[in-house]
Amino acid sequence: MQKSSDTSDGITLRDHVYDGIEEYDQKLPNWWLFTLYITMVWFVIAWVAYYQLPVNAPTDYEKLHKEIAQIELKKQAELEKMLASLNDDSLLEMSKDPNHTSAGQAIYESKCAACHGVDLTATLGGVNLPGVPLNDSEWIYGGNPLQIMYTVTHGSPDITKGMIAWQAQLSPSEIAQVTSYILSKQTAPPEPALKPRTEI
Amino acid sequence: MLTSKKPNLESLTSINDDGSRYFLHPADVRGNFTLWRRLFGALLLAIYVLLPWIPINGNPALFFDLAERRFHFFGLTFLAEDLWIGFFLLTGLGFSLFYVTAIAGRLWCGWACPYTVFLEHIYRRIERFIDGDSMKRRKLDNAPWTKSKAIRRIVKHGLFILVSLIIAHIFVSYFVSIPRLYEYMQQSPLNNAKVFGVMMFLTVCLYFAFSWFREQFCIILCPYGRLQSALTDDDTIIIGYDEKRGEPRGKKSDPNTGDCINCSRCVQVCPTGIDIRNGLQLECIGCANCIDACNEIMDKTGQERGLIRYDSLNGLQRQKKRIWRPRIALYTGLMCLGAAVLGLFISGLHSAKVELIRMPGQPYYVTDDGVRNQYRVQLITKQNEETSMKMRYSGLPEGAVVSGIEEEFTLKAGEESMKTLIIMVPRASFTGDFSFTIEADVTPGDFTITDSIDFLGPSAYTLNQ
Repeated sequence: MQKSSDTSDGITLRDHVYDGIEEYDQKLPNWWLFTLYITMVWFVIAWVAYYQLPVNAPTDYEKLHKEIAQIELKKQAELEKMLASLNDDSLLEMSKDPNHTSAGQAIYESKCAACHGVDLTATLGGVNLPGVPLNDSEWIYGGNPLQIMYTVTHGSPDITKGMIAWQAQLSPSEIAQVTSYILSKQTAPPEPALKPRTEI
Repeated sequence: MLTSKKPNLESLTSINDDGSRYFLHPADVRGNFTLWRRLFGALLLAIYVLLPWIPINGNPALFFDLAERRFHFFGLTFLAEDLWIGFFLLTGLGFSLFYVTAIAGRLWCGWACPYTVFLEHIYRRIERFIDGDSMKRRKLDNAPWTKSKAIRRIVKHGLFILVSLIIAHIFVSYFVSIPRLYEYMQQSPLNNAKVFGVMMFLTVCLYFAFSWFREQFCIILCPYGRLQSALTDDDTIIIGYDEKRGEPRGKKSDPNTGDCINCSRCVQVCPTGIDIRNGLQLECIGCANCIDACNEIMDKTGQERGLIRYDSLNGLQRQKKRIWRPRIALYTGLMCLGAAVLGLFISGLHSAKVELIRMPGQPYYVTDDGVRNQYRVQLITKQNEETSMKMRYSGLPEGAVVSGIEEEFTLKAGEESMKTLIIMVPRASFTGDFSFTIEADVTPGDFTITDSIDFLGPSAYTLNQ
């Protein structure tokens, strides 16, 4: 290729001309070329690592699902740990601990009172609310502490009633606290004779 | 005598023919613009350092609380869901830059860009302090390695790294706040690996950029610099050399020459290594060093100042100067429009939030008493004190019962809560789907926020069968 020094500053021009436009023959900055070389090296590493070696480097999609699975596992473990330490007796114990019942009361008043009433009577100023009263000894889905907790967690089996499964919004320990609050409001008959209603 | 390269229009001074780097050592410069630029730079640096320390409404003036997802902006608090306002921030900043550029060229680059401010007012000052003036620096660069050179280099780069660490820490404090940053600094870096990693990454970037990369960023990488030719026109005020007055160059005593005495002071002081006398070039960051340098020489030779000055291309050609032109009028109009829309949205933002969401499950429930809808209500206060809300409902039919939310209640400072809201409408009053509105009177602040949602049910005809 013929090189010509056409400009006054001794800059070399390439010998092609397109529509009167000519091109300087100048070297790119070395640091610029260096960034290009890095991408080349990186390509080789990535190509070898991902496609040639039996290294099963996880894709972003797999990583995401792995992390989601880990979160689920963690939740499950927490739930199991919670359930392992929970039984009818321990829930009744909790219902005597003001720390738990006051936390349960706060949750109850913001989430449950709308249907079951602030005073658990399922009435508001003489009007019947949609929920069932929780201060009597009548329990549609079982009155044992664990049965109450189950109902809060999974909701009413009859979806036309409107009692939703709260497990999506409350953690197992929060549900246990709400349960303990409800238990603490049971006046008659005295514990542990909360008997499930038999005819469902 | 070490000679410096002669700039030309065809290639970058800072890149040699073989692609290697040619390090520029701009000479010291004194003058009005330099003084004002130093003062302005000091002001900007002070703002950068102090903003995280100044509390407004109980939070730092600028605090992007990533952990809590709350963004405190000079007393205004934004939640993650208000992030769309950021659209205005970004486009507004971009547009302001265009606007300023159309009027006054690369004013931003030379005076206000953080890159220039850090480089010119901190790093280059340190270098000047350790290595001496331009001549000494170039000589030291080319000198063989001796003990004294090594010590100078170690001290200089040590200070560069120290300054980079400080700047990076201040940057991080915008996201984690000063008290938490101080807490982190006393712990092992591994406890807060992510924050530490960001800080270290930033330090390395700053050190690399300001100790080595320097003007290469402004000339080659910065997209704003690349856009210049599209943003300026012949009426834009730039830094230019008055060719009509200066040419031909030569001795002052020679009556056939112009005012330029060819002392090349303007070239020596240029931080991007251009000769401003070659006309407007893309490398020029508008720092005004050459103006001060030339004025100093003009004073010495007893000639009028302003051979190099802020002027438009038309002005330099002795043509009519115009600042106000259709392009600027259009930009101003668009700017006002954008500002008005932003103002409207900001005034609609409140420091509390009430939002109705339908509860999972059936859309409506029918009982003997009537039709029932179940909602969840998200209540948020962004205020730093106890906030009370008074609820009112409009659009509900006769006899509707509202249960779940007290008429008046308080939220703790910054509290977010989710409550259940049940609306029951008696069969007799239900005539079909309708929409109702919840209105909350909030104190402190004394404002009202509203949210509407539909109440659903079967057709009134089916209901009464």
